[in-house]
Amino acid sequence: MIRSPVRRDVVIALVLFLLMLAVPLLTGTRYVLTQLTVFFIWAVVASQWNLVLGVAGIFSLAQMALFAVGAYATAMLAYYIGLMLPAAMLLAALVTVGVSLVIGFACLRLKGPYVALLTLAIGQVMYLLVVNDTACFTTPASGCLPLFGGARGFSRFGDLGFRDLLGSKWYVGHYYTGLVLLLAAQLFCIAIIHGPLGLAFRGLRDNPGLALARGVSRMRYQLWVFGLSAFFTGLAGAFHAAHFGVVGPTAFAFAMLLFILAMIVVGGLGTTWGPLIGAALLMWADEGLREVSDWREIGIGLVLAGCVILFPKGLAGIRLRFSQGRGQRPDAPPAPPPHTKPV
Amino acid sequence: MKTLKLAAPNVIPGRRTFLKGVAGFGGAAGAMLAGMNDGARAQGSAIPVGQAAPLTDFAAADGVEFRNGLIMACDEINALGGILGRPLEPQFEDTKQMGDATNVQAVQRLIDRYGVHAVINGYNVGSGSAIPDVIADSGIIYVHYDATLGHTSLIESDPERYFGSFQGCAAEYWYGPGFLDFLKSLEANKEFTRPNNKMAVILSAGVYAANIANGVKERAAEYGWEISMFETVSVPISEWGPTLAKLREDPPAVICITHFFPADLAQFMVQFAPNPTNSLIYMQYGPMVPAFREIAGKASEGVIYATLVGDLQDEIGLDFEKRYKERFGETAGHNSGAQPYDGAYLWAVGAALAGGSGEPDNPDQNRLVADRMRNLIYRGVCGTTRMNPANNAARAFPTEVNDPSLGMPHQFLQIQDAGVGGKLIAPWPYATGPYVKPSWLK
Repeated sequence: MIRSPVRRDVVIALVLFLLMLAVPLLTGTRYVLTQLTVFFIWAVVASQWNLVLGVAGIFSLAQMALFAVGAYATAMLAYYIGLMLPAAMLLAALVTVGVSLVIGFACLRLKGPYVALLTLAIGQVMYLLVVNDTACFTTPASGCLPLFGGARGFSRFGDLGFRDLLGSKWYVGHYYTGLVLLLAAQLFCIAIIHGPLGLAFRGLRDNPGLALARGVSRMRYQLWVFGLSAFFTGLAGAFHAAHFGVVGPTAFAFAMLLFILAMIVVGGLGTTWGPLIGAALLMWADEGLREVSDWREIGIGLVLAGCVILFPKGLAGIRLRFSQGRGQRPDAPPAPPPHTKPV
Repeated sequence: MKTLKLAAPNVIPGRRTFLKGVAGFGGAAGAMLAGMNDGARAQGSAIPVGQAAPLTDFAAADGVEFRNGLIMACDEINALGGILGRPLEPQFEDTKQMGDATNVQAVQRLIDRYGVHAVINGYNVGSGSAIPDVIADSGIIYVHYDATLGHTSLIESDPERYFGSFQGCAAEYWYGPGFLDFLKSLEANKEFTRPNNKMAVILSAGVYAANIANGVKERAAEYGWEISMFETVSVPISEWGPTLAKLREDPPAVICITHFFPADLAQFMVQFAPNPTNSLIYMQYGPMVPAFREIAGKASEGVIYATLVGDLQDEIGLDFEKRYKERFGETAGHNSGAQPYDGAYLWAVGAALAGGSGEPDNPDQNRLVADRMRNLIYRGVCGTTRMNPANNAARAFPTEVNDPSLGMPHQFLQIQDAGVGGKLIAPWPYATGPYVKPSWLK
């Protein structure tokens, strides 16, 4: 029996990774592989957002804006400068970190819903800047293109090379890329949550007075969590752009923001595996309900409401409840709602 | 809603009776398809055919008609024996607010999930070059009615890669020169006399409206027009006061509005009517949608509008309208449904001629299908589809070609009675009535 939570989570991550490695060998179904690729992307975003929202307890709604920054930066670096896509993706992730640090700095003096309002407003301003940009910056074969792509967005900015390498099976290459990205993001989360940074984040979340008295700097750690979580979020946006070959203002969509938020809440806010479980469940439900289009939104709502009522600490909270019942120490206690005052 | 009697496959009576009965289906193409199927019944393995349409959000009214148009075409083609005995099975994905990012994901899902052999769309506002890339990667066929200059430029840039992407109508650019030619013909026939040489052009942000407005602006001087106002409005717009104030201060002979949302345009007419200027009014697309007449009421009478693709008011077009409304209801928008309806027949005939359609990752077979489509002269409910082989876009009559049998008519319509749809007033030989001077013109 593995006693160390870190080791246990790393082993789980590696076992799941090995299992997922085999999926393309077991099924060549394009639909399954492309849906799993999309799952990897949203799972990365949810896991990174969970660091800010669940572990650090900062009610930031900027994650989809950061995702969009990663996607747009990739497209623009590749389109205008002609960078190879892998290089553009890494640079875009660093750009996202920079943007996130600025957002984190702007939120330093705010708490709870005020952070939510400011971060939401930042995302909306970015969206409006993109869609209201109508002046032709360049005129490619497909017609007038504004600097930020306008309402249409960017396309034809290159690919990851799998189309040349694997021909019609290019999506298998994207599947493995997404899988490696998710593994890296999840190992990163495990290291943060179980490491000194995670302890500091939880300290500031649960008892900021005590944390400050013990020398935990709110400014430093808030910037840390914004910066760290932004890297993989930006990379997920970059990979999303590379996978679909297009970036548009829908990356800022409020509906998608709520969907990712729901993944975290359903899975378990502040837990290590909750966001991934939530992402898997909601994506499965969303996909399954496509056949009954008129009932799709209602169905998703019912799943969400059912999970919140039956499992208030998320699906990952079930395991915590069991482990606590057996007298075991929970490794990462779920967070209180971000807007509640610490006691 | 009624269901077509021939909706189900395996109902072919006898060859002669059958061919007589199906003559109306898809125009001459229906009979051709039936002939190629040689009495085969659509009972082989199904061919999935997809459509990415705005089934929800602001363009849902059109999106639902696009879906209906494809369903109707598939049912009819199945009744004719499908494609060489294989029935068509339509699949749909929602593009919501549209835009490349959403459109691409929808089309990608159609390919990944259903393995569609072709994507037959209506329009998706904001489509650029992204969908043709997904189509090219999968080697399937794509027919759309985005009416965009971007399509023609893209295909011309690499015709080998984009072999399977077709635009079933001409590019929106042709609205501009076509409108100027139309005005010229009105003046030549003494039906309209310009009080001055001024023309006001009102557009909204977006490639479609801007390309049309620029097309008018670029060529206006050749026709003796001076652009007195060129204004971009933020949409959606319901308060036209500031724009109307400028128009009333310096009344132009012609007001050309290339923004196309029906409700916005209806509000313009409602606010224009109480204090009109002595100006001919031309609007883009919106008046074609019944909601325009419902909102504007009597104020809509006199408005001229145009479309590069719409159901014609002739024997074939009226028969389609009748069958469409019998099936989908009296208020159904057959003009929107006509687009994928024609597109589906064009593809099905091309596929039958090529010996069958190809699934994703079978570009060799689909290149044969595309070749047949490119060389076909197809007379559908919207007129003649004849592709320009250089850019896979249908040619417009009379702006691009002067033979009505070789181009899709650029239709000009006028609302003369708010209670019924627009009257087709040009071009010859399709026009069904003359232009009527609007009540507000002196």
